[in-house]
Amino acid sequence: MARVGQSALMQKHQSSEMAASVLPPASLDLEASDQRRRIVDAMIDSCAEKTYAATTITDIVARARISRTTFYKQFDDKRACFEAAVGHCIEQLQEVAASSHATEDSPPDAVRKATAAVIGALAERPGLAQLLTGDAIAVDPRVIECYRKATIPALQGLWSRSDGSAQAHSDPRLAFGKAQVLILNQIAIGKADRLPELLPELVYLAVSPFGGHEAALHQAQLAGESTTSHVASGER
Amino acid sequence: MSLPVSDSPEDLRRWRLPRGRHGLPRELVERSQRERLLAAVVKVTADKGYESTTVSDILGEAGVGRESFYELFDDKLDCMLAAHNILVDNLEEKVRETYFGDDPWTERMRRALSATLVWFSSDPDAARFTLVELSTVGPAFRPVFQAAYARAIALLEEGGGEDAPEPELAQAYSLAVGTILARIYEEIVLGRAAQLPRLLPDLTYELLVPFVGEERARAAAEA
Repeated sequence: MARVGQSALMQKHQSSEMAASVLPPASLDLEASDQRRRIVDAMIDSCAEKTYAATTITDIVARARISRTTFYKQFDDKRACFEAAVGHCIEQLQEVAASSHATEDSPPDAVRKATAAVIGALAERPGLAQLLTGDAIAVDPRVIECYRKATIPALQGLWSRSDGSAQAHSDPRLAFGKAQVLILNQIAIGKADRLPELLPELVYLAVSPFGGHEAALHQAQLAGESTTSHVASGER
Repeated sequence: MSLPVSDSPEDLRRWRLPRGRHGLPRELVERSQRERLLAAVVKVTADKGYESTTVSDILGEAGVGRESFYELFDDKLDCMLAAHNILVDNLEEKVRETYFGDDPWTERMRRALSATLVWFSSDPDAARFTLVELSTVGPAFRPVFQAAYARAIALLEEGGGEDAPEPELAQAYSLAVGTILARIYEEIVLGRAAQLPRLLPDLTYELLVPFVGEERARAAAEA
């Protein structure tokens, strides 16, 4: 349980660079890159199955079908591998969010679409959700700052673009913690694949900081209508 | 609050039974040992983190022998979860006392929130143990977290009373519990558990907006 000291991931995210890259330096060959990728995938899958705390290097090398030596060539230890996995997840989700909406979308519409796209990606690979909302927080609670840095400026930017100012109705920093707890609970009850059920609430959380309660409710309803029937029972 | 035995040195001394024949019925000795162990696991885990805590640490803190420990608990995790359960029961009791009743719903929500903030602020060890350390115990974390979360939602729904608003979001109560947990968690991690009650106005607003809109939430927060 490392609570003290600055992790590499945190340092990386506190600098201007947003996401820790999973890719090795260009000097390494393709095989190394493939190995690194397989190790990170194995870490994500193992965390999904048994949490980070219970994951061992042995689990990872078995899943990735590599040797221990290869593992230690790529990563100093389990923690370093985990941080690469978190960075990789953040990077992937940022791409998903960025490509989910068009420039002509209004800010609330864009945020709804981005939220739906991210949740869709998490539902497709529940290991990502487990890693980001459960394990990452347990390993280093400050990781939530990374999520904020990866998203709040983008959110704010959307609203600024439309009317030149982004006035906050509620603290956007809080919205992240709330979303994290909701997703974590959905995972804890074993329904990670049904994360889209939470979409109305998550859209509400994403829109409300800059869009306000009414706009957020409206977008939550739109999100509810577009998801599958099991959400319909909760709609009014 | 928290456990039947506080973890202050005075209490621990008071509870430490004399060695040898003390003439107390076996049942009573076991109960006090159990309580000391539960208090100890909270203290030690909050200090060192769950992963680094050993059964020996807990025994040392509690002044209880290894054999007695294993008569009462399967292992470190079993002991931790037993303590966790007691703490969550205790918190639920506080929320129940303040939330259930005939006063306006927004006022009852504010009072229940206040009681929760006070509970987490009054014993930083218990606060860290209950919310932060739990997430590091491995796979057992999921069912325990889920059960506590479900209990909290059920409690808010059960005690809503006649004037509880019909929320437009299907999972508004889940959102409410998430709002509180997330903020408290973060304050504990930042080492600011003791100042939690200061957040009452802000958190009341955050908590109520999804149910009653911004204007009424602001009014309730400033009340």
